[in-house]
Amino acid sequence: MRHIWIVLACAALAPATALGQSAGEVERCFQNPAACGQGGGAAAPAPSPSPPVAATRPAAPAPDYTTVLQSPEADRRRIQESLHTLDKYNGPIDGNLQSEATTKAISDWQKAHGMPAAGKLTPQEAQQLNAEASRTPIKRIEPPPQTATAPPTTSPPSNADALKALNARLAERRKAAEPKAEAAAQSLIRDLKAYVAADGKGVAGDQFAAFAKWYADNKAAGRKVGEIAPVIDDYGDAKVGAAVASEILLETKQDGNSQSQCLVFAWVEGNPRKNTQAFSCDDVAAVEKWKTDQALKSAWR
Amino acid sequence: MKRFLALVLLAATALAPAAWTPSAAQSSQAKAERRDPIFLRFPEMAERYWVTTDTSAASHKVVAVPMPRQCAFLYADSYTKGQMSESEVQQMALSNCNRKLAELGPLGENYSTDCRCQVVVSNERYVVPRSSLPDDSYGPVSIFYRDDRGNVARVNGVAKYGALIGRDRSVTFSVENQRGEQVCEGTFSNNAPASGLFSLSCFAGKFSGNGSYQSKTGAPNDHIIARGQTGRGLPVVMVIGLPAQLAVATYGGI
Repeated sequence: MRHIWIVLACAALAPATALGQSAGEVERCFQNPAACGQGGGAAAPAPSPSPPVAATRPAAPAPDYTTVLQSPEADRRRIQESLHTLDKYNGPIDGNLQSEATTKAISDWQKAHGMPAAGKLTPQEAQQLNAEASRTPIKRIEPPPQTATAPPTTSPPSNADALKALNARLAERRKAAEPKAEAAAQSLIRDLKAYVAADGKGVAGDQFAAFAKWYADNKAAGRKVGEIAPVIDDYGDAKVGAAVASEILLETKQDGNSQSQCLVFAWVEGNPRKNTQAFSCDDVAAVEKWKTDQALKSAWR
Repeated sequence: MKRFLALVLLAATALAPAAWTPSAAQSSQAKAERRDPIFLRFPEMAERYWVTTDTSAASHKVVAVPMPRQCAFLYADSYTKGQMSESEVQQMALSNCNRKLAELGPLGENYSTDCRCQVVVSNERYVVPRSSLPDDSYGPVSIFYRDDRGNVARVNGVAKYGALIGRDRSVTFSVENQRGEQVCEGTFSNNAPASGLFSLSCFAGKFSGNGSYQSKTGAPNDHIIARGQTGRGLPVVMVIGLPAQLAVATYGGI
């Protein structure tokens, strides 16, 4: 909690132009998004009347040493540089804050400032250490170019680029899978039509009990089967072969009225088909469970 | 997905049998269906409630979740053991839900509303208005961000996202602060059943990040952990499904 208040205080005191995506600004914008969205969080008004998130937070039970230890390597190196600058450390600038030499250097620096000699730094202490080092020009050792303290010069690929690349990979994978998936679905359609044509006999009924029951129910109700149309739901490699899930729209007719019903047929390719099952199209959870059970690695979605 | 929805809609509107009809789903006594959002949201519970022989065939089957709808990020389901009455099974579900909620810690940093467990389904009937239940997935969210000065922002609120992460290639989500104002929006794009990429954009794009996410199931609660960087390469972490204090304790050390 102390840390959060320090953050907020720093954010309030620092020049507005220096607050681009500062932690304080992010917290303020979160509390008052309208102000940020309307023309700049940097010029956002004072925190809203409601207490900030930090105000309701209980006191931290223990100092936060994890943040610094898990900080990016550049930041950890900078701490070592600061210790070096302050004549506390003479070891390698390798980012290892848990090495014996580094923890001793940190302990020495903490002792010199009347702090508990933990050998580890809280974010506030790290900030203080770096600030102190930056004010100490003597014996400053220039870091190698790749350890400069500025933000990384090679920014990671943007999210848009990552998504674009992902979508391209998925599209390519799906395009490659399409011929096999379509062939599998059409083969099923042939079997379903053959089952209907044979008035309830054939492999489709043997393999898909739910379809056999559906056909029997419709026959008993006097409805005739019309169009049978597939849409591929999913396709990909599974643990025992290529798995297919296809939504099949089944049309039935009676007295000039037609109805449509949707079933998902799922199977693993083979002769005969394996692990066959049919579901209601709205039983999404069961279809997804089947795919999970088959360890389906989708080449479709 | 649109095609799928269109097919479902077509089937639902065309079919006469009651099992396929949305029917009077708005009353508190509406019949529960396996395809209802609350069962899609919690597939393991749906499996017990509708499929697993021991439990689905129980004489009393009860589901409790924290309400109102944005609080429903966990559940408790109970089934008849021995000669328990429906009321006793309801009490058991309620008690289990409250216990789970208590174990996860206080919700006050995420929610301004009072989240309280409530029995919502009993013996395949809704006991609250169907319309009061969530159609999407909700959960407490915490976002941790460390700026280039080493300061850490920890902001908390509620996230709302599509129920079927993993089925669709891309699922959008939004984040609201405690006052219910939308502050962020983003996308999960899966490249495996329980993981993928995420993007996050807050305050009209003033703050954004992207990276990868992972869905984790099991104790202490099912949740999503997303780690990434802002455009300037600074670390950002988002946790959905754990109350703020638990999220900090688990993932706060960015």
